[in-house]
Amino acid sequence: MRRIYLDHSATTPLDGRVLAAMLPFLNEKFGNASSVHSFGQEARAAVDKTRRQVASLIKARANEIVFTSGGTEANNLAIRGLGEAHHNQGKHIIVSAIEHPSVRGVIDSLEKQGWEITRLPVYDDGLVRLADVGGAIRPDTILISVMMANNEIGTIQPVTEIGEIVREERKHGRRLWFHTDAVQSAGRLAIDVDGLGCDLLTLSAHKIYGPKGTGALYIRRGTKISPQQVGGHQERERRAGTESVANIVGFGVAAELARAEMDERNEHVRRLRDRFEREAAARIDDIVFNGDRDCRLPHLANISFRFIEGEGLLIHLDMQGVAVSTGSACSSGTLEPSPVIRALGRDEERARGAIRFSFGKDNNEDDVDYTVQVLSRAVKSLRELSPLTRETTVSVPSA
Amino acid sequence: MDLTSSPNNLSYSELFKDHLANPRNGGELSDANAVAEETNPVCGDRLRLSLRINHGKIETARFLAYGCPPTLVCGSALAEMIEGRTLVDAMNLTRSDIISAIGGLQSRKQHAALLAIETLQAAIRASGGEFELGRD
Repeated sequence: MRRIYLDHSATTPLDGRVLAAMLPFLNEKFGNASSVHSFGQEARAAVDKTRRQVASLIKARANEIVFTSGGTEANNLAIRGLGEAHHNQGKHIIVSAIEHPSVRGVIDSLEKQGWEITRLPVYDDGLVRLADVGGAIRPDTILISVMMANNEIGTIQPVTEIGEIVREERKHGRRLWFHTDAVQSAGRLAIDVDGLGCDLLTLSAHKIYGPKGTGALYIRRGTKISPQQVGGHQERERRAGTESVANIVGFGVAAELARAEMDERNEHVRRLRDRFEREAAARIDDIVFNGDRDCRLPHLANISFRFIEGEGLLIHLDMQGVAVSTGSACSSGTLEPSPVIRALGRDEERARGAIRFSFGKDNNEDDVDYTVQVLSRAVKSLRELSPLTRETTVSVPSA
Repeated sequence: MDLTSSPNNLSYSELFKDHLANPRNGGELSDANAVAEETNPVCGDRLRLSLRINHGKIETARFLAYGCPPTLVCGSALAEMIEGRTLVDAMNLTRSDIISAIGGLQSRKQHAALLAIETLQAAIRASGGEFELGRD
């Protein structure tokens, strides 16, 4: 059966060039990067090189990059680490209402421990408003954490402008820091941490055709955080534990390729995504596009199909070889309607009928056309069974 | 395949997938003499069943469903298995019978089979019959 992967916001396949770079470090170059001997120094040199490659992707300095086990750990380290280091100055944090579960989770946990949280609304376009950001800042606010682009609907938040707000506050002597989760946007948007004015920025390797199990936190020079994993001197005492050298090497090559090929990849996936949306809208009635259509990542479409539920559609598509996602991939094992789609003001039916299609560099136009074909059949089949569909009555002849 | 073993197991049986791809008895009867629609109050899943009952026997059954795939599949399996059954037989069907008919179901999804049984019992009650409820 033909298999088409349209879930690149969940994870991407490992690029062959990345794998080739990793293999020696899974074989003969197995040293511990903390060891003094030549085996160790070989690994250390590779980790240091990667630190420069990853820093280049976001125009940072190499020593501002801390490798982690992934985006989730980096988000935890950023938010809890900064909170613990500065809690004497205030215990108020501002986040958007549609952060990734790894941010929502640590924020909810801090809230239970007595921190106060302001969750910024995103309105029907999925975007935070700068007036809301400015209005939410209090004397005891120490951190603003707003994702660069959303993982379910792809909307791109005004992070540069939020960075300016933070800079202005600092001019008045405020102690305020800014974190952004760039896991979905790295490799898709040009990132310059100085231009952004962020102090902390989260990255993940497996969203840019690198290996799973590796991410990074950018920590601006001079920003104090409390390490969340202790018991070793690695990563300048900011994250203890033996480095996963092969994965880190893969991350570096993936970052370098993402930077070099960003424009070409973006142009390709945007063309596929736009073709998909155009064809789907032409062939399927009663669909709702979720999130701002202009200010969003180029590879992603999120659509609510009225009268039906997303998981049934996902399994229908999967049986035809097409892999997509309902809600966030991390939360699709639950029965909860997507909180991101709900935050757009959509009702429960539209939230339950939302599907994310995320295209990648290896997809092509045939993939799009096949997907639209099986999608329109699956939607028709499910709507015929739905009591919510206006034309539901199907009569059968009397026996 | 043991689908009840892991709460993180997201896979479904081949029988389950077949019901989803080729639902049995989908639709609504224009000449039904017993109709019920039940909603799961927790997740909002809905199942509507329409039956044509003649001389204590279910001649024809049709279902409509909105919700997660198990609700659709349990509706399909139910509508298929009750055709030709006496009302007494139908009333004695249990959640386990539905789960067996679709090749197993993860424990956290078994509420869908219960919704199917409850909808069936409500439809039969709506026909005016008095029967002992089916039990697991």
